Amino acid sequence: MNRTRGPLVPGAAAGGRRATSRRLAARALGCALALAALATPALRAAEITVFAAASLTNVLQGLAPAYEAKSGNHLVFDFGASSTLERQIEEGAPADVFFSADEAKMDRLAKAHLLVDGTQRKVLSNTLVIVVARDSALRIAGPLDLASRGVKVLALAEPHSVPAGIYAREYLTKAGLWRQVIDKVVPTEDVRAALAAVESGSADAAIVYRSDAATSQRVRVAFEVPPAEGPAISYPIAVLRGSKVADAARGYVDFLAGASARDAFRRARFIVPE
Amino acid sequence: MRLELEDLRVPLAAFDLSLSTTLEARVAAVCGPSGAGKTTLLEAIAGLRRCTGAVRLDGEPFQDARARLAPAARRLGYVPQEGALFPHLDVRRNLFYGAARAHDVDSTAAHVIAVLELDPLLDRAVDALSGGERQRVALGRALLSGPRLLLLDEPLANLDPPLRERIRGHLLRIRDELGVPMLYVTHDARDVAHLADTVLRLERGRLVEQGDPQQLLEPDPGALRFRGDRPGSRGDRLRPA
Amino acid sequence: MSALGVVGFTLLCAALAVGVMLPGGLLVAWALARRQWPGKSAVETLVSLPLVMPPVATGLLLLRLLGRRGWLGRPLEELGLPIAFTWRAVVVAMAVMALPLFVRSARVAFEGVPRRLEQVARTLGASPWRAWWTITLPLARRGLVSGVLLAFARALGEFGATILVAGNIPGRTTTLATAIYTHEQLGEDAAAFRLVAAGVALAFAAVWGSEWLLRARRAEGSRAGGGA
Repeated sequence: MNRTRGPLVPGAAAGGRRATSRRLAARALGCALALAALATPALRAAEITVFAAASLTNVLQGLAPAYEAKSGNHLVFDFGASSTLERQIEEGAPADVFFSADEAKMDRLAKAHLLVDGTQRKVLSNTLVIVVARDSALRIAGPLDLASRGVKVLALAEPHSVPAGIYAREYLTKAGLWRQVIDKVVPTEDVRAALAAVESGSADAAIVYRSDAATSQRVRVAFEVPPAEGPAISYPIAVLRGSKVADAARGYVDFLAGASARDAFRRARFIVPE
Repeated sequence: MRLELEDLRVPLAAFDLSLSTTLEARVAAVCGPSGAGKTTLLEAIAGLRRCTGAVRLDGEPFQDARARLAPAARRLGYVPQEGALFPHLDVRRNLFYGAARAHDVDSTAAHVIAVLELDPLLDRAVDALSGGERQRVALGRALLSGPRLLLLDEPLANLDPPLRERIRGHLLRIRDELGVPMLYVTHDARDVAHLADTVLRLERGRLVEQGDPQQLLEPDPGALRFRGDRPGSRGDRLRPA
Repeated sequence: MSALGVVGFTLLCAALAVGVMLPGGLLVAWALARRQWPGKSAVETLVSLPLVMPPVATGLLLLRLLGRRGWLGRPLEELGLPIAFTWRAVVVAMAVMALPLFVRSARVAFEGVPRRLEQVARTLGASPWRAWWTITLPLARRGLVSGVLLAFARALGEFGATILVAGNIPGRTTTLATAIYTHEQLGEDAAAFRLVAAGVALAFAAVWGSEWLLRARRAEGSRAGGGA
C-alpha cells in the first residue's frame, strides 16, 4: 500500500479543518458581540433626550451650545409632530423632556401618569401665518383668499392630530372657511413639512407658525393672524417620568424659562408670555 | 446472514408492499418487474422508509412492535442505484465518511481498497470519475463503514458488459474474501446465477417465490425466467450483451 | 447624525437582524423542505405573512407586542430591556421582515440537495445532525448564502415596520430609509438623494451577489449531475 500520498484516513486533515471552523465561529461570535456593544448608545454623563415640536427645531438647536457649555450636559433632540412624539412616549420611547406644541398632548401624558409632578410649565405661545413662496404671484390679504381659485393646494400639518394643523383648522372653522378649503388641503407629517411644501412649490400656500416662517428664506408671510383672532396656542414643557436624568432635565427646563432663552424665543418670532 | 421479515408492510401508490419471510444466505438476490417494490424493500430494511412489522438481522431486531432502530444504528451498507457519492467531498473523504464506526479501520481499509482497486482514485474529485469508478467507490464507502449487511440496488445497471463483468468479480471477492453478506436487487441472470445462494421474486409488492436459484431459474442463461412462468410470459429480460 | 453614521447604523442593524433571524430561519426552512406534519400549510402561510402584508401593518402588530404596554414589551421593560423605540426594535423589525425571504430561498436550497445523499449518510452511521452539517449544509451553501444576501438587502431597506415600532429618532433609530423620508419631508433634497444613492448601491451589491451565487450553483449542479 503506497502511503506517500497523505494520510490514508483523512482524520488529521478533517481534525485541522474542524479546529479552523471552530476558530472562525469564535471570531464571528466576537464580532457579533462587538457590533452589539457598538450599537448600544454610549453612556455619557447626563445625556438629556428632548422630544420637541418640529416648530422648535431651529430655536432649540440654537440654544443648545449655550446650555451645554453652562451645564456640562449633552442634549439629544428628536423633533417632530407633537402628536407622533406623544404616542411614542406612551409606547415607551426614551425621552427625558417633552416640549409640546399644544396642551392636549401634554394632558394625555399627564393622564397616563407619565409626567414628573410639578415640572410642567407653559413656556411659549405663537401665532399663525399664511405663507406663500417668496416669488409667488398670489395675493393673499386674508384667510378668505385661501378659498380663491388661485390657491389650488393648501399644505397644513395633519389637521386632526398635529397641533399646528389643529390650530389652523380651528382658525379656518371659526372664520367659516373650513368647508370651502377642505378639498385643497394636503396634510403633512408636521408643520415643517408644510413649510417645505411651499418652499418646493408643491403647495401654493400653507398655514404655519410665525416662528417657522422666520426660518425660511424661500417663503414670505402673506398674512399674519392677529393673536386675538387666532386660536390660543400654548407650548407646555415637562420632565418625563422614567427619565434617568431627571435632575439634569429639570435644570434644562429651568434654563428654557430663563432670560437668555426667552430672548432667543422672541428673536425667533415666538410669543413669550410675560 | 439471517434476515427475518415479519409482516413487513409499506403503503405504496398502487398497492402495499407486504411480505413475511426468513432468509439465510451469504448473498440473496431480489428480482421482479419494475415497480414491484424492490427498492422500497431495501429502504425499509435500511430504516429509510416507514414501515410496520418486524425486521430482524441475525436475531437483533431492527424494528418491532416496541422499538425502531435508527438507520445509523443498524450498521448496514446501502448502495442506491445512482451510487449517490457526496459531490462536495473527494473520493478519499467519501470512502471514509462512515469509517468511524467500523472496527479496526486501517487493515480493513487496506483490504477493501485492494479488492476494489481504489488506490489510483483516492485523491480524485467525484465528478472526474467514470460510471464504473463511481460504483466501486460507492461499494468501498459502504464497506468501509463496517456493515453487517450490504444492501445493493442494481449496482451494475448502468454499466456496459465488460465493466459489469469486472465489478461482478469484485462482488465475488467481497463475498468470499471480505465475507460481507449482501442483499441485492438485480435484473441480471448472471448475478443471480454466480453470486446468489437465494433468490426472491417480488411482484406487485408480494413475495411470489423464494429459493435456490438453480432450482427456480430456467437453465437458459439468456433470460431471467423462472420455472413456472408461462411461455412468452413477461419474465425479466436480460440486457443485450 | 451624519449620512455615514446613518448608513453605518443601518448596516449594523441589518447584519444583526440577519444573525438573529438565521437559526430560526434555517430550522423553519429545513422543516418545510423535509418534513410533513398536520398544520404545515398554516406554518407556511404564517411565515409568508410579513412578505405580503403591508409592512406598516406588521409594524403595528410588533408595536402592540413590544411597546411599553405590550404583552412582551411590559415585562421586558420591567427587566430593564425596553424594545420599542430603541435600536433593538430596528433589529426586530428588520428580522421579521427579512425572515420570509430567507426561508423561501433556504427552503429551495435544502430541497435542491438530493435526499438520497442524506439517507446514505445516515446508513453510514451519521446522526441526523452530522448528516445535516456535513452533507446538507455544504451542498445547500450557495443557495443559503444567496438567501442571506437577499434577506440582508431587505433588512437594509425596511421602512414601514421600522418607523412604527422603532420610530425615527435621530441618532438612535434613524435608518437609511427613514432618514431619506425625513429629508424629503423637510425639503432637504440633496441630503435625501445622497442617501438614496447609498441605498441603491448597497441593494445592488447585495442582490447582484445573491444572483451570482445562484448562477454559480446552477452551473455546479449541472456539472455534478452530468457524470454517469
